[in-house]
Amino acid sequence: MRPTRILAIAMALLLLAPIVTLAAAKTTISVWFPEGDIATGTIAFADKNLFADFEAKNNVKIEMMALDYDTMIQKIFAAAAGKNVGDILLVDMSWIPGFLKEDMLEPVADAKAKAWLAATSPEVKTLSDYGKGRMWGYPQFGIEIYGLTWNKDHFKDAGLDPEKPPKTWDEFRDYAKKLTKRDAQGNVTRVGYAIRHVGQPHGIVHKHWWALYGAGAALVEDPLALRGGKVKFNNEAGKASIQLILDMLDTDKSTSLTFPDPRAAFLQGSASMQISETVSIKARQPKEAPNLKWGMALPPSRRAGDKPVTLMGAWMFVVPKQSKNKALAWKALEWLNSPEKDFELSKKYNATPLYKANWDKEPFKSDPYDQGLKRLYAAGISYPMNLGFNGIMDAMGAAIQKAWHHEASVDAALAEAERLGNQAIAEAAK
Amino acid sequence: MALSHEIRPARRFMARLRSRHLFHAYLFIAPVVLLFGLFRVIPSVQTLLYSFYKVELLRGRFTFIGLDNFRTLLTDEIFRQATLNTLTYVLTIVPVSACLGLLLAVMFNATFRCKEFFKAIYFSPMVTSTVAAAMVWWWLYNPQYGLFNVVLRLVHIPNQPWLMSSRMALPSIIIFSIWKTLGYNMIIYLAGLQAIPAQFYEAATIDGANAFRRFWNISVPLLAPTTTFILIYNSILSFQVFDQVFVLTGGGPANSTNVVVLELYRQAFQRYNFGYAAAEAMVLFIFILGVSILQYVYTKRFEVVY
Repeated sequence: MRPTRILAIAMALLLLAPIVTLAAAKTTISVWFPEGDIATGTIAFADKNLFADFEAKNNVKIEMMALDYDTMIQKIFAAAAGKNVGDILLVDMSWIPGFLKEDMLEPVADAKAKAWLAATSPEVKTLSDYGKGRMWGYPQFGIEIYGLTWNKDHFKDAGLDPEKPPKTWDEFRDYAKKLTKRDAQGNVTRVGYAIRHVGQPHGIVHKHWWALYGAGAALVEDPLALRGGKVKFNNEAGKASIQLILDMLDTDKSTSLTFPDPRAAFLQGSASMQISETVSIKARQPKEAPNLKWGMALPPSRRAGDKPVTLMGAWMFVVPKQSKNKALAWKALEWLNSPEKDFELSKKYNATPLYKANWDKEPFKSDPYDQGLKRLYAAGISYPMNLGFNGIMDAMGAAIQKAWHHEASVDAALAEAERLGNQAIAEAAK
Repeated sequence: MALSHEIRPARRFMARLRSRHLFHAYLFIAPVVLLFGLFRVIPSVQTLLYSFYKVELLRGRFTFIGLDNFRTLLTDEIFRQATLNTLTYVLTIVPVSACLGLLLAVMFNATFRCKEFFKAIYFSPMVTSTVAAAMVWWWLYNPQYGLFNVVLRLVHIPNQPWLMSSRMALPSIIIFSIWKTLGYNMIIYLAGLQAIPAQFYEAATIDGANAFRRFWNISVPLLAPTTTFILIYNSILSFQVFDQVFVLTGGGPANSTNVVVLELYRQAFQRYNFGYAAAEAMVLFIFILGVSILQYVYTKRFEVVY
């Protein structure tokens, strides 16, 4: 063979090499999720083989990327604007209205949504349905419910029955007074009830949700009207909910503005009761307070006989419109959220399942913690889906802070929040 | 004529040399100019343009709304509160930290044992990351376990809420920022003091001036350019305060520590109102521009030649 021919063949092979390599390369699906123990099921992403079966069957590679929770929303938005965002995002449900406002999410196909809503348990259905069967993503297993948690030893020391949490607001105030401890100088060393009064307005509203909604107020009139509407908290119920804590601060002195995060205070033993995500206490307690004996129940209702209410939320798997592999992203999510995988992962990570059918199986059927959560789910109210949601939360969070910090009267704080909230709704609806 | 013929090539040569020098000079500064343009000038111009638009980045939609963003700013109570907080912060931290810096510089201008060691200690906050230092201070301010309340309890003063209180949070941030900037001011003042010729002090001493008179009548006037620099430099930095507020309070409680940069960050990255955030940035730019003009005017006025 002539040297020139050999050279020509070699050149041709060299040119073909990248094409062959490209043809053999797997498609990569990126999954962005919050790092740490922020979300219930984040721990699942530490398992490198989580998607192994799916990867093998579909000749794809799933690349998992942990993001810092505090700046995750900003990173997602910036990446979406740069058209380089993850194919699948695990996001806090309360971020979804903000994403929808920017027209950033792909809807779940109608047929898939219908099948999902028919097969999942009632609380998951509530969290998934954004009105008329419309879905924007799938909740992750182990949904989040806010509950009252109390320190059983503190209850015993204060002469209270450690198995009986307060049921009404009056009882709650009474218990909190009895549980509060002071030093010789009169400084509060332990609060009966720890409140969230600093930090992001969203977090403040989340932890006051039980009182706000329990009193009969709401963030908006119609929780599923995506556009328009009015806020519904500048009323007797909204005022009563803020006044409850003000009374505990000023009259009973059973809570305090000098205690930071209620969960941390509870785990450190400087608070006897707190209301927040129960999963968080369950996850942190063995590490941070191994000797703590605690109970979990619904937050107290305003009056005896009133239905108690609490906040229920979830981390949601969504597919952004800027995803480069939408079809495969949905396929991966459907695989991950299949009844079989739901059972396997919920069992493995000690979380509650999504499907009705899985609730009828062990260990969920008889696990006392899971069954306790199921009772809480029945009182759960989810976030309203309104494009002005972020503005409403900012306004309400600021009103709560202003009133509790005596920066404004309850009436003035709520009036201002109503104006700002309605303004946010109107602007978002444009 | 013959002479002019000889001069002409010489001139041409010089001109060529000069243009070649200029070409080389421009070539040398080109990377800096390019990067400055790319990362400073273009984004600044873009921000100015955005302030007149409703910007929807994800939809790629830009709607011209003229001065609407600025009109809304005028009635925005949160922005007003953020501006007031920023001004309070600037007007407190700049003079206090300058005075304390001068005081320390005067002390360090004397000779004593371990001077360099103490100087390094005072300067160390300046080289520490603001975020890391703020995290440590967050614990120092913790009402239950923080060192500050432990010390207060030792002297029988009740616990203070520090960052948890809407009244104490901004002063607490200011205390942190003074601690952070003090070392820098001290070093600059020390350099200024050491540049003052010793014979001025010797003459004043012979004339019977005491230490305070020497400081007041010699050091203070001759440090005027240094003071101008410190005041203006610190003002510009203080208008841009963000890190410590973000870490220590996140702007709360009840917006009591919200500042302009934090507010524009929230508008841009939490509410996605990029146009509105750009208008807020322009207001901040006007404040800083005002301070920069003062710098330009006063640096010339207070020029000192020994």
